[in-house]
Amino acid sequence: MAGSEEVLEGFLCPICVTDFKAPVQLTKHFEDFHNDDPEILKSLKDLFGKAKKKILKQDEMSCSFANSVPSTTRLQRSPESNWEPQEIGVMRSHTKYFKEIRNMRLERYSTETNKLLIRLDKLLNNLPTDPVDRKVHERAIVPWIDDKDVKLCPICAKSFHVARRKHHCRLCGAVMCHNCTIFLSLQDAKKMTSPVSVQDDSAVSPTSERPISERIVRAGIGLTKLARSPSSGSLNSVLSLVNDSTGSEQHFRICTHCANLLDAREKQKAKHFDKPIVCQFYEKMRAYMKEASQHVKMYNKMWESLNEGESTYNLEDAQALRIKIAKLGENIDLISKRISVLGTRCVENPPQDQELRLHHMVRVSAMIFLKEELLSVQALPSEQRYAELQKERQRRIEARIAYERQLEEEQRERSKEQRRKETWNLEIRPTVKENQPNVVLDQSQGWGPSSVAPIMPSSMDPIIEQMSNLRAYIKQARADCRYDEVATLESNLKELQSVYFTMKQSNNSDG
Amino acid sequence: MNLITALKFYITRMTEESGPGMKVLLMDKQTTSIVSLLYSQSEIFLKEVYLFERIDANVRNEGLKHLKCIVFIRPTKENIECLCNELRYPKYGTYYIYFSNIIAKADIKLLAESDEQEVVREVHEYYADYLAISPHLFSLGINTCSQGLLWNPVHLHRTVSGLISVLLSIKKCPYIRYQNSSEMAKRLAEKIREVLSKESNSFEFKQDSPPILLIVDRRDDPVTPLLNQWTYQAMVHELLTINNNRVNLSHVKGISKELREVVLSAEHDEFYANNLYLNFGEIGQTIKELMDEFQKKAKKHQKVESIADMKNFVETYPLFKKLSGTVSKHVTVVGELSSLVEKHHLLQVSELEQELSCQSDHSMQLQKIKELINNQQIREIDVVRLVMLYALHYEKYANNDINGLLNLLKNRGVSDKYVKLVYNILEYSGINARQNNLFDREAVAKITKKLFKGLSGVDNIYTQHTPLLNETLEDLIKGKLSLQTFPYLGSTMMSKKPQDIIVFMIGGTTYEESLTVHNLNKQNPGIKIILGGTTIHNSASFLEEIQHATSGILTKYKNNNN
Repeated sequence: MAGSEEVLEGFLCPICVTDFKAPVQLTKHFEDFHNDDPEILKSLKDLFGKAKKKILKQDEMSCSFANSVPSTTRLQRSPESNWEPQEIGVMRSHTKYFKEIRNMRLERYSTETNKLLIRLDKLLNNLPTDPVDRKVHERAIVPWIDDKDVKLCPICAKSFHVARRKHHCRLCGAVMCHNCTIFLSLQDAKKMTSPVSVQDDSAVSPTSERPISERIVRAGIGLTKLARSPSSGSLNSVLSLVNDSTGSEQHFRICTHCANLLDAREKQKAKHFDKPIVCQFYEKMRAYMKEASQHVKMYNKMWESLNEGESTYNLEDAQALRIKIAKLGENIDLISKRISVLGTRCVENPPQDQELRLHHMVRVSAMIFLKEELLSVQALPSEQRYAELQKERQRRIEARIAYERQLEEEQRERSKEQRRKETWNLEIRPTVKENQPNVVLDQSQGWGPSSVAPIMPSSMDPIIEQMSNLRAYIKQARADCRYDEVATLESNLKELQSVYFTMKQSNNSDG
Repeated sequence: MNLITALKFYITRMTEESGPGMKVLLMDKQTTSIVSLLYSQSEIFLKEVYLFERIDANVRNEGLKHLKCIVFIRPTKENIECLCNELRYPKYGTYYIYFSNIIAKADIKLLAESDEQEVVREVHEYYADYLAISPHLFSLGINTCSQGLLWNPVHLHRTVSGLISVLLSIKKCPYIRYQNSSEMAKRLAEKIREVLSKESNSFEFKQDSPPILLIVDRRDDPVTPLLNQWTYQAMVHELLTINNNRVNLSHVKGISKELREVVLSAEHDEFYANNLYLNFGEIGQTIKELMDEFQKKAKKHQKVESIADMKNFVETYPLFKKLSGTVSKHVTVVGELSSLVEKHHLLQVSELEQELSCQSDHSMQLQKIKELINNQQIREIDVVRLVMLYALHYEKYANNDINGLLNLLKNRGVSDKYVKLVYNILEYSGINARQNNLFDREAVAKITKKLFKGLSGVDNIYTQHTPLLNETLEDLIKGKLSLQTFPYLGSTMMSKKPQDIIVFMIGGTTYEESLTVHNLNKQNPGIKIILGGTTIHNSASFLEEIQHATSGILTKYKNNNN
């Protein structure tokens, strides 16, 4: 890499030093524009043969590991890789059909569950404290089955007697024995029917894809969401904790069937809010990774440009970016390390095998990312070296310009038609400044100085205003690591400055 | 028509459809192989897939609700059952289900009814139902596809769905030609046409010229898989066996731990990609170059003294580690190959094999075989293979001495199983079963080749043999393939010369044939050929195939000859 700097690379026309992409193009160009010299043309053609050999040989001996294997350049790729681009194969979706069937089936469950929830809500509404009144209230909402119709408990099929009394489920009104019923505490019942505001709002996830069941609930009694405290575990565990201290007033007796339906629903709700800590870590890590790889891309571009001695980008900017990347790398490393040890010290609830494996794999993938992406970031030239590089480039450009001038003069002496063609050469002569596109930035480009808006008085010279605007833009672009934009903006600023300068000069001379 | 690209498209789509977040990939045995052939672990990590589980694993654990589960399975009865169970008691938060082939509506209904917790988000068919070994080579991983010289129904079904998925993944609806002499080829062709017409909606593609699906039978060319191979990939498979791109080296003495099992994947190993079709001698040369270069670097590496220097070195040469890994891997593999070649005198064996397959000099060849049988340093299996080649070649030759050779084998103490295999191969692919005169063809080809090689001065006696497939495909490309031996299925015929060709070999193909197809692709720009087989054979697996194929049929050869 270092050796190539003194030499211009590519398929350069020996007369006008234009770079061409392929030997064919160069030969064609030569035939079109410099066809007056058949000898040069011939030597040019010979040269390609020699150059090709030389280049190939050089590649073989090249010290750069980037070429990894010497044989790569020698062998052509397999013919299959040259086959025309293809598109993704046939796909068939069954999602619609699947969901149709599923909804048809689940509707039955969900209507039943919804019915229970509506009843529960009504029961809780204005619930009298007096046991007798309460019974009336309960029976008014849910019709109870007549005791006489039931001889055996429908669940355990045992007969009723003094010791095994009949109980009504408050939600469906059916009769069963004490063992086959469960108590639902009022507190939990309230949680089930109340909107999510009881719990943290942050856990609410969009419900657009939730099935019909929920929509029915919402239409029926205006419930949006059900939630419960994360500590409560499954409903069953809650239900088993019958709070004896407060007596029967504090809960409803319900049958196991109804309990199961409610429980299933609760579980499903809970799943939406159940987001363990590892997810947060992971999301953060991914965000860092994304940022880092963007920065690395930018950095590589800057690195190449700087090593060429170009002044498009600032050396300090690149250094800052490098530090930023390193910091991001550290963060990624740190987070992934934390993920990998997550919960391993927890004694009562140690993570299971699969979870451990997951955390380990996340860590491994982060390591791979760091190794492949971030460690490959190459060091920048020192300031001294950079100055040298710049000088070298300057020399190169000067030499080229001088060479071109010389050629020009030679050419000038030639015939007129020839000269017309020569102007073409001049036009495409690459000059750093002129090639800079004049980028006019406006809000529509996606970002603007929202916080750093210019606070200049409007009475100021429009050019000065423009310049201060640009400075604000540059500052912001730099903060956002958009070094490409920094480069264009800076060149714009320079232009403005020079315009301003000349204007002032002329003003002064005028005045 | 690049098979690897086709499959990668599918897998990428799968991992993208579920959005960002940690994912687990739930697969069955076969889809696991399909995916592992395509991606290395680090590549799949990039797609945020961190766990790989088998659907048929019996471990029931709590599961991780914060994971997205991508299910990629074949639509088999057992898999559907497992998946129904999984959905009834879901271990993960959401499910994205992809079937590798066409699934019956009834099965989807079953699944939908099991999804009581509404965890399923997507259900699709993505036709990634074959093992893509190279861009032009696929296998279905069926080691023994026939029984009693007829299709095993299970394997026929798998083969049909595999081929259908190949066609769908590259969006081709072909004309079908099949080998007339083979009952199995005809049956497969008919089955495929059945599916094509049944699923005609899926097979409506805009294609400039329809491709040809050519179905051939291994029985027409039993010689190719019997030969020792000398190109890198084929040789590794013959001597060390490649299984899902992996080579087991654990039997090698003093092998380091990380080289117990090496991965040879052209997708991820540039050295391998560049050298898999080179012959052994050339590989040796390249390896030497690679080592020289590496040592040059290593020396340079040693000069690095301070920690800062080292850091600098790593920063400048991030590929250093990668390269060193490649070097030691290939040095080990090539070293093992050459020690095997030496130990079993494979050059000597191979020379005679090539002569037997390409030349007709009966008495001299018989003499040489006898010598090798009596040479105790030659492996049993190698002499048996020689006798097989002899038997195939001189089966109808008036003065053949198959029985004499068999007696020699028995005298040497070669196991009955191997001796029986000689009859089995005649049963499998005797002169009556073949539609081409395999050895006459070779003889003619040999003469022209000798002339040509004599001129250029390069003659490699170990690679004289070219597979029959080469000739068949060349004829097909030129539009000269006989309509008698390879008829079209149905009345439609193609008037133009074919451009896209899919060859499928019942009974397994070989890496030598893969190389042949590779070369044909290279020589004929504009023509694209894909090769597939029920499996990729080496001689050992081929002998197993023969044994299976001929089990349960009357052994007329034994009776005739004894």
